[in-house]
Amino acid sequence: MTALLIRRVVRLVVVLAGVSLVTFAILHVSGDPVALMMAEAPEADRAVLRETMGFNEPLPVQFVKFLGSTARGDFGNSFFHRAPAMPLVLERMPTTLLLTALAILIAIVVAVPAGIYSAVRRGSLVDQAVTLAVFLGQSMPIFWTGIMLMLLFAVQWRVLPVSGWDSWWSLVLPAVTLGTFSAPLFLRIVRSSMLEVISLDYVRTARAKGVSEWFVICRHALVNAALPLVTVIGLQVGLLVGGAIVTETVFAVPGVGRLIVGAIRQLDFPIVQAGVFVIALLVVLVNFTVDLLYVYLNPQIRVR
Amino acid sequence: MKRWSLLFMVSALLLAIVVQVPAQPKDTLTVALVSHAPVLDPHFHFERVGILVNINMFDSLLHKNTKLEYEPSLATSWKPLNDTQWEFKLRRGVKFHNGETMTAEDVKFSFERVLDQKKKSPQFGNIRAIKEVRIVSPDTIHIVTDKPFPLLLERLVFFPIVPKKHVEAVGDQAFGLSAPVGTGPWKFVEWKKDQLIRLEAFDQHWRGKPAFKHLVIRAIPEIATQIAELKTGGVDLIRNVSADLVPELKAHPQTYVSSAPILRTHYAALDMRVPPFDKKLVRQAANYAIDREAIVEKMMAGLGRVVATTVHPAAFGHDPSVTPYTFDPKKAKELLARAGYPNGVDITLHSAFVEFRPVFEAIAQMLTDVGIRTTPKMWDPGPAWNKFFQTEGKAANGYYGSWGYYSVFDAEAILHPLYHTEPGGWVGKWYARVEGLDALIDQGKSTVDQAARKRTYTQIQRLLKEEAPSIFLFHQFDTLGVSKKVEYAARGDEWLWLFDAKPKR
Repeated sequence: MTALLIRRVVRLVVVLAGVSLVTFAILHVSGDPVALMMAEAPEADRAVLRETMGFNEPLPVQFVKFLGSTARGDFGNSFFHRAPAMPLVLERMPTTLLLTALAILIAIVVAVPAGIYSAVRRGSLVDQAVTLAVFLGQSMPIFWTGIMLMLLFAVQWRVLPVSGWDSWWSLVLPAVTLGTFSAPLFLRIVRSSMLEVISLDYVRTARAKGVSEWFVICRHALVNAALPLVTVIGLQVGLLVGGAIVTETVFAVPGVGRLIVGAIRQLDFPIVQAGVFVIALLVVLVNFTVDLLYVYLNPQIRVR
Repeated sequence: MKRWSLLFMVSALLLAIVVQVPAQPKDTLTVALVSHAPVLDPHFHFERVGILVNINMFDSLLHKNTKLEYEPSLATSWKPLNDTQWEFKLRRGVKFHNGETMTAEDVKFSFERVLDQKKKSPQFGNIRAIKEVRIVSPDTIHIVTDKPFPLLLERLVFFPIVPKKHVEAVGDQAFGLSAPVGTGPWKFVEWKKDQLIRLEAFDQHWRGKPAFKHLVIRAIPEIATQIAELKTGGVDLIRNVSADLVPELKAHPQTYVSSAPILRTHYAALDMRVPPFDKKLVRQAANYAIDREAIVEKMMAGLGRVVATTVHPAAFGHDPSVTPYTFDPKKAKELLARAGYPNGVDITLHSAFVEFRPVFEAIAQMLTDVGIRTTPKMWDPGPAWNKFFQTEGKAANGYYGSWGYYSVFDAEAILHPLYHTEPGGWVGKWYARVEGLDALIDQGKSTVDQAARKRTYTQIQRLLKEEAPSIFLFHQFDTLGVSKKVEYAARGDEWLWLFDAKPKR
């Protein structure tokens, strides 16, 4: 277990360094932040600012310096907010995490029972309806789903707030929108892995013993069918944080996605770097957790 | 029993109607902006969304009324003493939100914190010409500039005065994030980042109390969401309603639109260093090729006005005797042939003006129609400028864009960035090569004698029309979407001066 942990930490550091390098490289070829900060100022003033901000040094030198301060946890000051970048990212992180977690929860709550039911009653009317819903759900872009739900529930029927983040009610539409993005995939996975498991010998044996159908499905079949689902949920977290950026924009949610998008537009390097770093860290940690869950769900798997 | 319940139901129904009909007088005004500025400190950002919030919390020395004429604000009168010195009389007894009285010290301090280069204020460039702010008496200050600075008054319309003692006590960072204090109509209550800024009417404001007790500025990045909020009463005022959305808001029972012509002027800057736009005849041909009226009427819902040059009709120095290029494709082809391109020529135009992509494409098509075969290239804003101005021999040919004058109603505010070729310049240093224009632009800003300046700008506009360093297009309107519960009209400077907003009954 200790060896495993050490290997994972090494991998984590490598991934984070790689992500930082890529972010750094893309940002520094994408333009000159000083030109945006002082659009109207004479070139002489801009040159002074460039000098004080260290943009005149060769890129490799800048990168080494950046890595050094990153290793100490110092991402520098935002060019526009006049405050350290990392706290700005971290103070918006809980909102995005809550939104993502709610979306996953909604997706699971919808997908697991529906997936099980359509696997058990394969070919039934319900199964066919579910398949149709999966197709629809997967082909709708988040942006569009969000606007449609808003027009329906907030403008037409006026049962939910249009946007914002003031009450629990205002969480509903963004979370459902984002959940709609994941639910179809979860549902498909649950359905197909249940179909696979349900015809296996041990399930038949359990039934033959006279165990109730409900117990067979939940205790015997579902536990084994859950493995692929856990994998997919782990992979989805990264995607969902990406989706959260769109959802946050549509529903005016004060999350980290909006902060990063705004920072990219203004070439506010420190914020982008801190934000990407935190999200990369999150994705790596989630994947590690998924690996651990494997062991728990199926003791036959040895994590190497 | 039945009778009783019937009676009960009827009275409940009546009660419901009685309660609903006379809506409570609304004392909260909610405005949507696409984002919040990074700080509330009015001196340490230079973003429109921040200025719009700041002006309702802070006063400057001067103000502009709805006709965009200067009005006294914290200064009650002002006059130039000579070419480089101005005198301002300060209003007496003005209170800051924390109860302190504004003094000349506060005014001096406000200028000095922007002029202090160590503080890196993005507004430094606006007032860099100011050499010294001198306190002559408790209610008189002199502003000394290093050379004649005709734009001084324009710059002072947004130059908020902050309380020296308070800022020094809490520090710049806290002042910008959690403790902003000004003399304006509303005072700070709370700021939930990327969510809302809550302000409350200031009892002791020198103009009196504003009509709305509470002012909430929400950050809603998506225009479709802003529209949905406006229709459902979640917000009362939204900005930048595009032409295609105007009919929808006009037709809606709870909303109306209010438009005003603004300074934002559209143009296509032409790269005069390389063929084909190094030839005057080709540049003129490009100007004859564009059907400006059709673009304004059909693509912008009429929310624009054709301009003769890039000098806006509302800017100081505009000369109406210089008339716009007509739409004359035949003449354009003729000029093109005379310039040595009888079979036409291929060019590339760039743009990062995403909201006006259809207009950009229409311009490209109109140029193509007369033989200037144009490939339009659309870029993301931000990094795009590097592409437009690339210098390594690859011609950019030109780009379509707009200039908002930074709300300065003076020809100088667009002539210098667009056409002056000094190394510190903006577009001009790359694209413009008009003989004698640099000298004229310098002459225009070298005096505060407005009559002399006007003559210079007339000369410049004639030269611009003849030399055509840009394709001159039109200026834009700003369109607000407003709730019918609120009375407010769009302003020509795009300000949201919400002291003028009133609840409608």
